[in-house]
Amino acid sequence: MVDLGVATLTLEMVAESQMGLKALGAGLAVGLTGIGAGVAEMGIGSAAVGATAENKDIFGLALLLTVIPETIVIFGLVVSLLILF
Amino acid sequence: MLQPKTMTRLLIVGSKEQMPSAVTELYRHHVYHITDYTDQGKEGYEGFRIGQPMEGATELSTDLIKIRSIESIFGLTPDDYLDTKKRSSRSIKEIIERDLPAIEQEVSNLTAQRSAAEARIKVNEQRIAELTPFSGIPLELGLYKGYESVSVVAGKASREIEITVPHEKFIASDKGNDTTVIFFKKADRAVVEHALAEAQFQPIPIPEEEGSVRKAIDTYQSEISQLTATIADIDEKIADIKEKHGNFLAACDEVLSADVEQAEAPLRFATTELTFIADGWVPVSQVSSLKSGLAQATGDKILVMQVGETDGHHDSHDHQKNQPPVEYDNPGFAKPMQSIVDIYSRPRYDELDPTLMVAIIFPLFFGIILGDIGYGAVLLILALGLQRMLKGEAVQQLLKVLRNASISAIIFGVFYAEIFGAHPGALDIELWHPLISRHLLIGSHAYHQGDIAVLLVFAVWLGIIQMTLGRFMGVYNHARHKNMLHVMGQVSWIAFMWGVLLLIWSIAAIPLMPDLTMLPPIVMGLNIAGIIGVVLALAGVIGIGIESPLELIELPSVISHSLSYTRLAAVGLSSVAIAMVVNFIAIEMLIEPQFKELTAVGIVLIIIGIFVLLIGHLLNTALGLLGGGLQSLRLQYVEFFTKFYKGGGEKYNPFGKKRNLTED
Repeated sequence: MVDLGVATLTLEMVAESQMGLKALGAGLAVGLTGIGAGVAEMGIGSAAVGATAENKDIFGLALLLTVIPETIVIFGLVVSLLILF
Repeated sequence: MLQPKTMTRLLIVGSKEQMPSAVTELYRHHVYHITDYTDQGKEGYEGFRIGQPMEGATELSTDLIKIRSIESIFGLTPDDYLDTKKRSSRSIKEIIERDLPAIEQEVSNLTAQRSAAEARIKVNEQRIAELTPFSGIPLELGLYKGYESVSVVAGKASREIEITVPHEKFIASDKGNDTTVIFFKKADRAVVEHALAEAQFQPIPIPEEEGSVRKAIDTYQSEISQLTATIADIDEKIADIKEKHGNFLAACDEVLSADVEQAEAPLRFATTELTFIADGWVPVSQVSSLKSGLAQATGDKILVMQVGETDGHHDSHDHQKNQPPVEYDNPGFAKPMQSIVDIYSRPRYDELDPTLMVAIIFPLFFGIILGDIGYGAVLLILALGLQRMLKGEAVQQLLKVLRNASISAIIFGVFYAEIFGAHPGALDIELWHPLISRHLLIGSHAYHQGDIAVLLVFAVWLGIIQMTLGRFMGVYNHARHKNMLHVMGQVSWIAFMWGVLLLIWSIAAIPLMPDLTMLPPIVMGLNIAGIIGVVLALAGVIGIGIESPLELIELPSVISHSLSYTRLAAVGLSSVAIAMVVNFIAIEMLIEPQFKELTAVGIVLIIIGIFVLLIGHLLNTALGLLGGGLQSLRLQYVEFFTKFYKGGGEKYNPFGKKRNLTED
């Protein structure tokens, strides 16, 4: 009798599904850190634009503060690169 | 280089008779940065007052305001005429007296006519808006009024109006926006009003006119088109005057601005009844020429004193107000970067000017991120093209920065062997092997695997070097102020960073970095390098803690800042990935298969493929410019400048102005 509940995995299938999970992990790393950086920059960015409207001289400082959380998504990108390659 | 220009403080003292010629001479030299005198009873300045503007300042200002208002009507700026021939300022002054009133009269007449016409158009549009609701009702306007016993209301109702008394109702339907006109006996007013209120009736005024509604609307509309033609006519005349006199007005603006600035200069001086004192700064190299110029202009009747504060070494910070203004002193190739440093902040007089460093490192980083011959060439052409088209100092400087950066991108493109993300990309052409490969295995023709780990470590190395450099510059700045506590703090940071590095090297082998794991372990599994690392790091922590315990929270920043430099590799790789995917979709999926058998559909697909290719690479160029520019700028601002740079210096703003349109 054939047991329908058990499917056999060939070696290629194992390798493919490993690759798939890696890709998923890499996607999550970039996507989630992107959301994180976005949320963080949202508040800073709007405040920075407001402050720059009041006083143009602090544009440099405002830009600096706005891009600080961007490191989060860069780390995500680096992690996903390391996962994939 | 690395230092702002050295400034000398000059006090200019003379009798008021000499003031006009001294001011003119100062203006001409355009090197004297005046420190405004403030009337605060400073020691040694008892009895001094802020000076009064020179004679004629009011008239000059009035003239200038007139010219500026004409300029704003014309929408011109003096910068529009930079390439025209210079005029002599003497002839300009004559023309100002002769021609300016006439031009002003003409322009103000024309603008008055124009605004009258515009007002008339507004009125007519209002009338039309009032008349439009009645256009659907078959009654002449004269029939709405002049009754003894009958009243009329007009308006909009949101539901059916039910009136029980005798009346006559007209409804003009207009897409759910119906206008209702009701005639009723004056005696029934109360009943009608009640019914109207029930129906939520909103009355609108009945126009006070005669004749047919359509005709009235047509009359107003034709009047509006006439007026519009008149306005166009006036605009043309104004454009003619602009064409004819624009150049002259721009020159007038320059001459008068100069005169007004000179006439108002005494407002920045300290004066007594008979004398004046000007306080200010001059770059050391200009002192002698300014001195001799002043002596000549006033016939040696003026005293120029050099105050001995040339190096800005202050022991206390009370002298903040007396800090010399800061003028960059950089070699030519670094000058464009000054505007980038200015966006952050002008350096202080007594700290290192990072412009030269940034001028080298920024294009380098941009190149590492973008690193593509194709994109670099596109940006280079863009920069050179815009340089010809756009005017203005700041824009030109930024474009020069872009030019340098894109040249660097081309150079790194050669190293990476990338042209539009593809080498050989979708086509089987192998030109040369990449020095470091950023190619990814996308598409069937790709066969270079990217050296991802090597790229990331390379980026971290750049970070380590730049941060160490930043710390050393911090050491130098603090040492100049003899601030030994902070010097020790900075040295401790360097020790901590390199200690941690040594420790990591002794534990793990990393490509491109020294491998110290082979050394024999001594204590607790640590080898000699590891022990030195731990000692250095601990000494660093202690040093940082002594400088300021709060700084200890910042310790992990050594790691996070170094890793932050991995963006140099990561951002670049993502742009390579986009480029390769665009190539793959456009060439391999859309264009290439069609060549096996050309069909009509195939040709359409080829066109779509070319379209995808162009749009994709256009977007990626824009992304590369933004990513490459902002990311490498951020590395300067956040990771580099925070180590040593404070900024906040006063900009050197010499009295005077470069003449562009006129000459003496």
